[in-house]
Amino acid sequence: MSAPAEGTLQRIATFLAASGIAVAAYIAIAQADGGAPACFSGGSGCETVSRSSHSALAGIDVAVIGVLGYALLLATSLLRGDGARMGGFALALTGFGFSVYLTYLELFVIDAICHWCVVSALLMTLLLGVNALRMTAYVGRRS
Amino acid sequence: MSTAAAPDEGRRERLVKLGSAAVFLAIVAVAILVVVSESQTDGGNTDLEGVAQVKADLRGIPQRGLVLGDPDAAVTLVEYGDLQCPACKVYAEEIVPEVIGSKVRSGKAKLEFRNYTIIGEESVPAGAAAIAAGEQGRGWDYVELFYRNQGFEGSDYVTDSFLTSIAKGAGVPDIERWNRDRKSRRVLAEVSRTTAEAKSLGLDGTPSFAVEGPGTEGLEPLPFPESARELEEAIDEAG
Repeated sequence: MSAPAEGTLQRIATFLAASGIAVAAYIAIAQADGGAPACFSGGSGCETVSRSSHSALAGIDVAVIGVLGYALLLATSLLRGDGARMGGFALALTGFGFSVYLTYLELFVIDAICHWCVVSALLMTLLLGVNALRMTAYVGRRS
Repeated sequence: MSTAAAPDEGRRERLVKLGSAAVFLAIVAVAILVVVSESQTDGGNTDLEGVAQVKADLRGIPQRGLVLGDPDAAVTLVEYGDLQCPACKVYAEEIVPEVIGSKVRSGKAKLEFRNYTIIGEESVPAGAAAIAAGEQGRGWDYVELFYRNQGFEGSDYVTDSFLTSIAKGAGVPDIERWNRDRKSRRVLAEVSRTTAEAKSLGLDGTPSFAVEGPGTEGLEPLPFPESARELEEAIDEAG
């Protein structure tokens, strides 16, 4: 089975990265004034996670780091060439690895689940799949 | 054939190189993120006893303030305790978990901890710390973990550092807020209020228990229970 056209993969990655920016920006804005994002089905999971000491990294809100990560992924999805293919894959793999770690923290350390973090983790997983496919199918080929 | 295979071979080689570089960069980046994240949690709870056990005992049971269990449960079992009290520790480890498992988890009753500070001055900040943890949904984690790490009576172990390590072990999400709350007049007044309430009920030691439900006339003090079964029977009668 042949891979989808690279343009199609780029468009999918663009959509996923833009969605990721929206989700991470919502979390960052909700937390900016000491608040927390609202979980879809109520509950205090999002608030608990937001107030956890793990919600910031070296003083930077993890959601802000997420916005930056998704913005870089958006850039790689719009650019052509092997640099963009490799960059997209490396960034998505990093984002996926960090999402796995954050999900572990939610489940076993913070003991609460934030629905928005789950959405972000799913988006990052899909981005990894799309970028891995783009890289394996098109590295070394002309754009 | 060899001319057709050459570009494929070159592409594969390039893919392996770039792929390896990408995987390496990702591993390094994730490792840095995880190390930074772990270093800022300073391992404050690593020396505590019973963190996993407390978490397992309470997992999935709702908490609001120092009330454990379904807020709409018909029966309320109240424990008047002093976090520094050795007898309360024994109850926390041997009797209360049974009642939580049999009556609270099932929604038959809710269990409320109220401070009755009789051991010493340090019982007040300890009780306030539990209330402040309760305001972040970790009240019972705090109470249970404190008991499991209780020091010798009168050994001045109830320091800010000890209280903070319990808070971290209990999973209190916002330690700064907890620090502000536990020292607030409002929370300290709540410790005094429940202590006065226990005295007005005629309770003369800790732990003391009282029960309230459709089958009782208000909050009724219970005789000193010797076993979980006695508390379970009191809950059944109150329901």
